[in-house]
Amino acid sequence: MTNRWLHPGAWWLWALGLGAAATRTANPLLLGLIVAVAALVVSSRRPQAQWAGAFAVFVRIAVLVVVIRVGFTVLFGLRVGTTDLFTLPSATLPDWMAGVTLGGAVTAEMLAIAVIQGSQLATLLICVGAANSLASPVRLLKALPPGLYHVGVAGVVALSLAPRIMVNVRRVMQARRMRGRPTRGLRAAAESSVPVLESSLDDAINLAAAMDTRGYGRATRTSPGERALQAGLVLAGLMGIALGLFAVLGASGWGWLLLALGLAMAITGILVAGRRIVRTRYRPDPWGWPETLTAATGISAAIAVIAVSSSTITIPLTWPALPPVAVAAILAAALPAVLTPPPPVPWRTA
Amino acid sequence: MTQLHVVPLRRRTVAALTAVSLVGVIAFFWPFFVSPQSVAADHATDAPWFFAVLLPLVVGVLLAEISDDGLDAKGVAMLAVLSAVATAVRPLGAGVAGLEPMFVVLLLGGRALGPAFGFALGSLSMFTSALLTAGVGPWLPFQMVAAGWFAMFAGLLPQIRGRAEIAMLMAYGALASLAYGFLMNLSFWPWALGQDSELSFVPGAPLSENLARWFAFNLATSLGWDIPRAVLTAVLTLLAGPVLLRALRRATRRAAFDTPVRFETPIEHPAR
Repeated sequence: MTNRWLHPGAWWLWALGLGAAATRTANPLLLGLIVAVAALVVSSRRPQAQWAGAFAVFVRIAVLVVVIRVGFTVLFGLRVGTTDLFTLPSATLPDWMAGVTLGGAVTAEMLAIAVIQGSQLATLLICVGAANSLASPVRLLKALPPGLYHVGVAGVVALSLAPRIMVNVRRVMQARRMRGRPTRGLRAAAESSVPVLESSLDDAINLAAAMDTRGYGRATRTSPGERALQAGLVLAGLMGIALGLFAVLGASGWGWLLLALGLAMAITGILVAGRRIVRTRYRPDPWGWPETLTAATGISAAIAVIAVSSSTITIPLTWPALPPVAVAAILAAALPAVLTPPPPVPWRTA
Repeated sequence: MTQLHVVPLRRRTVAALTAVSLVGVIAFFWPFFVSPQSVAADHATDAPWFFAVLLPLVVGVLLAEISDDGLDAKGVAMLAVLSAVATAVRPLGAGVAGLEPMFVVLLLGGRALGPAFGFALGSLSMFTSALLTAGVGPWLPFQMVAAGWFAMFAGLLPQIRGRAEIAMLMAYGALASLAYGFLMNLSFWPWALGQDSELSFVPGAPLSENLARWFAFNLATSLGWDIPRAVLTAVLTLLAGPVLLRALRRATRRAAFDTPVRFETPIEHPAR
């Protein structure tokens, strides 16, 4: 296969499918399998880019999440189960802090629940980290729906300008050093912010002039009726979402219906708004069979795990079984490691 | 002094901002008023995921609405460059106590360029900086809404000028960055703890009890970082605020955002 970028949406669907599977199972063996699959795919399809190091960072955060969860359980946990492991000296906090009791007996069941629920969260974070290091952020921004085109352009420009501004900060600091001014401390930071911001604002005005002369942002003409329809759809949709949420939280039956209706209207509104925007794409990302395969393996892992596994933890604790359907579906999610085109190798100079 | 609005505050924009803020308030504060019979109370650890999917949708709808007839090329360029500045300075704060330099950019940007632009700036900067540092996660939608509010309210504060304005912005910056920390804790409170700890929220319990538990959770996790961050935001606003505000206002005057575009029929020259 020739090297090319896989569509970022495919990686995100794959990762979120695996992540959804992780939140729906309390089986530590399946969770471990999901982490292994994510790590395998990342190690084989990670591009040579700065953001590709995200996976290791997310793994660290994931470990931290489990540690924090266990720590909170030991300190503040409510007693569950009967197998006492050890007892901490206990103290009750004053009323203005909810009268919380610190310490007390710690049981094996409490620890097991904390570790398993912490690992569910940690596995999901690892899946998100895999998407972060596999999918190119700029390509993700380019794939935004047409209604968000202007904001997407602002985002792409911001992403490509930010490193230049960091270089500017360094240049200003160098100039200060040569003039014998301090380069550390709050005052130095505040003073050097002025030239950095001034030059950036000049950039903005030049950029706007350049965009204007190239005819950027010319919308097609639409009738006032169509625009009123769009505004009405968006507003009614947003209000529907808010009211639907209130109803769901208040345990009313029709809340979900209202929520779905609101979402549908708001999304239609964006689509209508997008019709006014005329744009051309430079090197669009194709959606071929590797993309379909990647997305499908992630989503089918989620479906299989939801179908055969449960996220409730049974007490007394038992050793978890390995449901073959879920194992097969999760293992299939490792296929993108070999069946997708590898990412392009960057040009090397010197 | 009247305020300049890079994104004009039409009735449509105000209504969309209000509706999205309402959804945001529900997404953050639902543990305090959820009914014990609700699905959300049974699935308290899943509810934040639901909101993490819903919030990007509504923020997307709002940004589409703002950019639809509020942003021209100048507005897009200004949004892009200020987001780039906020993104570039975010790592500078990481060593101290978090986000202060970025907060100062958002605060002054929202102040000088208006509340609707402020919301777009806050949420876009959080998004781009997360992409650049590869920090896209379930916390990002909540950060986008909270940072959007942070910049938006700076633009909604009373329009005074001079030293009083800086004093007001310092006080606001300190309070708002504290509030930001509290809000972010609130967003992951239900799933970080689960349902079986002394600090978890209790669906249907009196507001005062859940508030006390939330406060205790804040104290146990991040208050030690939140307070230095608030102080630093105020100090940075004092040191850099006056000049940066002047620079921002001068640039927006040069860009002439609120000048209406008129087409006039050219004068006929009878000689030719």
